[in-house]
Amino acid sequence: MASIMRPAVLRPTAMAARMVKTPAIRSAFRPAIQKEVMSNAIRASAFHTTSKRDILPPPPQVIQGGVNDPVPIPDPSPSHGSYHWTFERLLAGSLVPLTLTPFAAGSLNPTLDAVLCAAILVHSHLGFQTIIVDYVPAKRFPTARKISTWGLNLATALVGLGLYEFETNDVGVTEAIRRVWTA
Amino acid sequence: MIAQRVGVSAARRIVAGNPSGFFTQHLPKLAASRLSTTQIRPVGTSKITAEDAHSLLAQQRLNRPVAPHLTAYRYDQTWFGASIWNRFTGGALSGAFYAYFAVYLVSPLLGWHVESASLAASFAALPAVAKGGIKFLVAWPFAFHCVNGVRHLSYDLAFGFAKKQIVKWGWAVWGTSLVLGLYAGFAL
Repeated sequence: MASIMRPAVLRPTAMAARMVKTPAIRSAFRPAIQKEVMSNAIRASAFHTTSKRDILPPPPQVIQGGVNDPVPIPDPSPSHGSYHWTFERLLAGSLVPLTLTPFAAGSLNPTLDAVLCAAILVHSHLGFQTIIVDYVPAKRFPTARKISTWGLNLATALVGLGLYEFETNDVGVTEAIRRVWTA
Repeated sequence: MIAQRVGVSAARRIVAGNPSGFFTQHLPKLAASRLSTTQIRPVGTSKITAEDAHSLLAQQRLNRPVAPHLTAYRYDQTWFGASIWNRFTGGALSGAFYAYFAVYLVSPLLGWHVESASLAASFAALPAVAKGGIKFLVAWPFAFHCVNGVRHLSYDLAFGFAKKQIVKWGWAVWGTSLVLGLYAGFAL
């Protein structure tokens, strides 16, 4: 039987032989072996556990239902899915000519300026929404999610009102930027 | 089953029970008689109920580490990746946009003057270096977000999505936006 000569058996055999040959230090050997086994276990455990290196501490979480329940699948809805995605892209794409035009023309007429501002406002709103969805997960921070979502809605409404005031009482956003820039 | 370990425990049992047997003739007899049939495993086990096991598992799941960790990736991919800087620049620009127009809305109530004429007047009073610096701080994020936004739109159309192209155009976006930002800040 070749496996008897394999290191797995060989090492304890050699160890036992050595202990028998030197009975005087045998009692001193025992804890040394145990210590070695323990330190090996500790060293090996370093490969099995993840060290804690938090940049940000993970947010609190709760387990709803059992631990082995599948993740609930949200209802498929095109207005929260592909339509939303396409709308975001169309809006972002339409901002390209809208932002290039004032550089080419020097300024924008009031209508185009209002269109540009409205597009930037909606683009910003969608961008902030994405940030909230990414970093304030509803499952972990349900209250903070509600507060930030509605706070964003309120802020967008206020800023929209402010934009309206600016567009009606001031010189328009592109013209204002030009005047400050060349001041 | 590990092929190397086949028969090892059986051999051990034979060795321990029958030190003078056939299998042990090549082994030192004294050593063989000292062989233990059990292995040392420094772990403790205890019997717990199914509910306790479930709550223990739930407790452990709550302590799961966050993965993948940011430091697992190369720094130039995570820290200078154009994707996260698109969010930084967009967030900063939109944040400034929101702050200014919200302040503009409430400024009559507070008696503040943030209309374009007074802004231009106070901006003109600044030294040239401050003017250029402030303009750069606005122009660079704007240029970056514009150029990188077009890049992301091309991703959405499945262009430029090979790894080499991502890296190449990432650095191109940094270079272009810095040049445009410096030009708009100090030359316009």
